Amino acid sequence: MADVDSAVKEAVVEALALDEDEVTPESTLMDDLGAESIDLLDILFRIEKSTGVKIEASDLGDYIQGGIPDDEFSDENEVITAKGAEQLAKAMPQVDPAEVEGTLKAEEVITLFTVQNLVDMVKTRAAAATG
Amino acid sequence: MGVDVVRADRVQDVIADDEQRRRAVFTARELEHCRGRRREYEHLAARFAAKEAVLKAFGTGVSRRMRFTDVEVVNERSGRPRIELGGAVAEFAEGHGLQQLDVSLTHTDGLAVAMAITTWERPCAST
Repeated sequence: MADVDSAVKEAVVEALALDEDEVTPESTLMDDLGAESIDLLDILFRIEKSTGVKIEASDLGDYIQGGIPDDEFSDENEVITAKGAEQLAKAMPQVDPAEVEGTLKAEEVITLFTVQNLVDMVKTRAAAATG
Repeated sequence: MGVDVVRADRVQDVIADDEQRRRAVFTARELEHCRGRRREYEHLAARFAAKEAVLKAFGTGVSRRMRFTDVEVVNERSGRPRIELGGAVAEFAEGHGLQQLDVSLTHTDGLAVAMAITTWERPCAST
């Protein structure tokens, strides 16, 4: 299997037609790099081709939410709960739970997802697949 | 309300002629409806835009466990598009009391646009 860090960076660079130095581990895919949903699909298809790790767009939400039910991850106004914030910090270590609890909307979580978060997700999936 | 615009050539680039990729994004009925049509990828792009427009109208985008195939564009005999929901998107709609969902699609010169309008029993995160 290709080196995951390199494979993810290459997928992002090619799908978004960016220069390599524009893509850092800390770059958020949507806000910093301007990825749209069709671009996310492109990135995930490219990663599957180079690493063999299959990730669907819907899996990103699963990974971020970590199996926590929707009504526990966010409240009735779709704002992240304390439990949701704690999970976010596990899936996306750059997130400060105190900053997002009670303020961040569930729909906005994906905007914080970085290149490094995607690398970590691919590695987690690859490890799970090999047992 | 949700609106989305998609370039047909971008959809063609991403799904190419890979059947597995096509089926990850579009339902069998959607693929069958568009297959062999002149400007097939404009038709597919319009359906992709509709899926995005619906998810935007729901206020969820791709942030939850929603699959693109959970939002299906079907055409009535008149040609009018109608949305059928499945999976996590249908669950979200039921949980938030979706009353009405209408969608309009258009495409020309390699560009597709879709607009979705929803009404709900209860307030929703829709933007």
